Amino acid sequence: MTPETPAAVAWTCPFCALLCDEFELAGERLRGSDCPRAHAALAAHGGATGQPSVDGVPADADAALAEAARRLAAWRQPLFGGLGTDVAGARALVRLAQRTGAVCDHADGASLMHGVRALQDRGQYTTTLAELRTRADLVVCVGTDGVSRHPEFFRRAGLLGDEGPARTLVFLGATAAGGLPARITVETVAGTGDGFADLRQLGALAAGARVPGADPGLAALAARLQAARYAVLVWEPARLPAHGALWAEQLNRLVVTLNARTRAASLALGGGDGASAANQVFTWLTGLPLRTRAGAAGLDHDPLRFDGARLVADGAVDGVLWISTFDPARLPPPGLPRIVLGPPAMAARAAGPGCVFLPVATPGLNAPGHLFRTDGIVVVPLVAARDDGLRGVADVVRALEAAL
Amino acid sequence: MTTTRLRGGRVIDPANGIDAVRDLVLRDGHVGALEPGAPADTEIDATGCIVMAGGIDLHSHIGGGKVNLARLLLPEDHRRGFEPIPRPSDPLQLASCGHCAPGTLATGYRYAEMGYTSVFEPAMVAANARHAHLEMGDVPILDHGAYVMAGNDELFLELLARGAEPERLRDYLGWLVHATKALGVKVVNPAGISAFKFDQRRLDVDEAHTHWGVTPRQVVRSLARAVHELGLAHPLHIHASNLGVAGNIASTLATIEALEGLPGHLTHVQFHCYGKEGPKKFSSAAMALAEAVDAHPNVSIDVGQILFGQTVTASGDTMQQFANAGFASPRKSVFADIECEAGCGVVPFRYREQSYVNALQWVIGLELFLRVKDPWRIVLTTDHPNGAPFTSYPHLIRLLMDKSFRDEQLARLHPDVAAHSALKDMARELSLNEIAIMTRAGPARLLGLRDRGHLGEGAAADVAVYRAQADAEAMFAAPEWVFKDGTAVVRGGRIVATPAGAVHFAEVEFDPGIERTIDAHTERPLGVAKRYSVIGHDELCGCCNGGRLLPSACTGRSV
Repeated sequence: MTPETPAAVAWTCPFCALLCDEFELAGERLRGSDCPRAHAALAAHGGATGQPSVDGVPADADAALAEAARRLAAWRQPLFGGLGTDVAGARALVRLAQRTGAVCDHADGASLMHGVRALQDRGQYTTTLAELRTRADLVVCVGTDGVSRHPEFFRRAGLLGDEGPARTLVFLGATAAGGLPARITVETVAGTGDGFADLRQLGALAAGARVPGADPGLAALAARLQAARYAVLVWEPARLPAHGALWAEQLNRLVVTLNARTRAASLALGGGDGASAANQVFTWLTGLPLRTRAGAAGLDHDPLRFDGARLVADGAVDGVLWISTFDPARLPPPGLPRIVLGPPAMAARAAGPGCVFLPVATPGLNAPGHLFRTDGIVVVPLVAARDDGLRGVADVVRALEAAL
Repeated sequence: MTTTRLRGGRVIDPANGIDAVRDLVLRDGHVGALEPGAPADTEIDATGCIVMAGGIDLHSHIGGGKVNLARLLLPEDHRRGFEPIPRPSDPLQLASCGHCAPGTLATGYRYAEMGYTSVFEPAMVAANARHAHLEMGDVPILDHGAYVMAGNDELFLELLARGAEPERLRDYLGWLVHATKALGVKVVNPAGISAFKFDQRRLDVDEAHTHWGVTPRQVVRSLARAVHELGLAHPLHIHASNLGVAGNIASTLATIEALEGLPGHLTHVQFHCYGKEGPKKFSSAAMALAEAVDAHPNVSIDVGQILFGQTVTASGDTMQQFANAGFASPRKSVFADIECEAGCGVVPFRYREQSYVNALQWVIGLELFLRVKDPWRIVLTTDHPNGAPFTSYPHLIRLLMDKSFRDEQLARLHPDVAAHSALKDMARELSLNEIAIMTRAGPARLLGLRDRGHLGEGAAADVAVYRAQADAEAMFAAPEWVFKDGTAVVRGGRIVATPAGAVHFAEVEFDPGIERTIDAHTERPLGVAKRYSVIGHDELCGCCNGGRLLPSACTGRSV
């Protein structure tokens, strides 16, 4: 076997929440998919050999870890941010957060909380990829084209290729994606331009209310939803503006309305970069999701007050432990003292004054692990495609805790 | 070698027919023996105490997708008004909170504090199996295991509809148990969860699934046969059709008949034991069910007692949960259709003493406990959290052991229920021996756990030591000592060690050729390369935080 033709291994891609398992990895080359996100992520992780450093100066791994622990212990209110890790990493972070009184928020905390807040207030009715694939005769992408951030979504949803049930795919308030086969009826409903108002109107129409001056496109869509055997409303939390929880709540209400007479469910595209895994793990261990402070008075959860970016902007935290194993370009907020756990490819970007950098492995690339899929139900096992001799986040975090 | 001697306690060990004051020696994690005069490393004075095997809960929703959805749904369960719940004062405990939807850490601490040492998750969805094992692995102290859900997966229903040979169904079920590292198999609303995805809102035992044409009776019968043939120790675990529906005693009795004499464990039967008599067309059918259980030695049950107050119902039964979502309190609920094999519905609920229906549910559960003759076939559960949180077990035990206390509680209920229920005339008070059977010896036997649930020599040293007192609730709420595999984990009501629990799972034999059928039904419907890859021993160990693996080998049986 020469370096030019490395053996292709079955691979599960950790780089978006679809966690596709049908491709192969040959060295750093992806086979079987032209997914731009996977290709870009593999390229971003390629070839780097970052070392531990303290304030930009290369350091011995043990010394860097000891210095990180010393700084962490000195911070009065740490923020654990990024949280781009897997189940094992999140498990270790829960314990360290309780030792240090940290606030924990994911880099995608804002979009994560749209769904969490809507769930806390009203609940939801969701479905999974396989149900969508086999059952849905009507798929409505609400405010998203479905594939920009999750390029393999249509394939996973069974919308590509020549086989599978005929069905209708509607884009509501979003540009229709191309490349769909002829057996799929593709429609676009422009709506009024206000996504929230559109969902409200659609909900009223689906409930059979008289809506004076109703948008004809929405009225037709409401009729289609009522007539469908199993409609799936696909949405993408990352595309929502501030107060997206209200938007999500409207979508959830629409699903409840439809389920009174036929069947329907929603599916959110998101939770990648470890967001879903971290939220699940924090919730099961402690009872409360992310955006929680493990304070002296107890666990304090507030989706607004414990927004990491806001705490940084307000000067309410004095140090950040930042974890980003999947995306080497995802950096902590500037200006604060920081400890960064990232892949070697992040070293050059992250290292500098005020920073302790500790290289870690990436689950699904050079470490095994577990992540939650976009539907929040299927836990996918990740395998190491190669061994770079790096420690995992869980291991480093436990060492930090032991050194406090 | 470490030895502990519990001196002078009243040892109640029904599996070995023992109820006597005697010493108990724990040696290297097991119940052992020492010469009477020989010193032990630790001598504990247990005079005035009741010594039992550690409690075993064979039906408690402690981990997995729907449990975590319940936690996410109810942030109010994890705070006190607007204030956080104070951190535990005990330095060994991490902060973890929740009354009806506790975090996994709190789950382990609270169970251990009551003297329980093993708890089993009854509704593991195959697609969510890793999640369930990860959560159970994060329940400290307790041993655990799970029953994988079957009988609503489209592949099974399709095989059944096509008239597949029983061996094929057995092999498929065997593969499912193997892949998910399950201890048993559970069916929830047989074929009904799938039917609801096809917009069918009710499914009676002899009614056909609108798409596959199979009936719940066929599903129950074929699953019970497959479970039996695989040699699984625990009979098919059955959440019967029509949960919560007035008059459902008919479908519950029909489900028992569907077993055709094969072993079956009907779970949370309180929810399946309703008649249609009386002014409100809702009545107790406890007598009919108890008689059926007495008459069918192949049947065991757990009760799923309700107790009053706030809780949350979490079930795989989307059909019935959705039908009841209008009763949610607070008014919110979570549902999911899952991966062509399952579903879940989470609906918060407050049981009220002044509600006729709730009061009657309370009465029905207690009547079942007091009517069924053989304590080895009836297990004490609240179907945590569906009937009540598991932390109410001591209260429930007092209701069963103390007639005057039971009458006091009954008098507080809806007046029609208090006045007319048969419960008020039932004088039976369960003995400590019967409680020990229903909370440890019986469930251990029903699960095939040979070295748990008793205190014979060689048994695992899972032991609870309770201070004997007239108030059974106080007694069972706070044991003096709890030992897990010989290690003291609770002393004087405080957690003193938090070892990782072990995981129980079944090792079954099946024809691996079934994987070809499974693979053929994977790529197109599921859109993944392999139907969830098998959980190996190393992965399971990692999921369970390094806890011990306790496989139980199964030997195939014929019908």
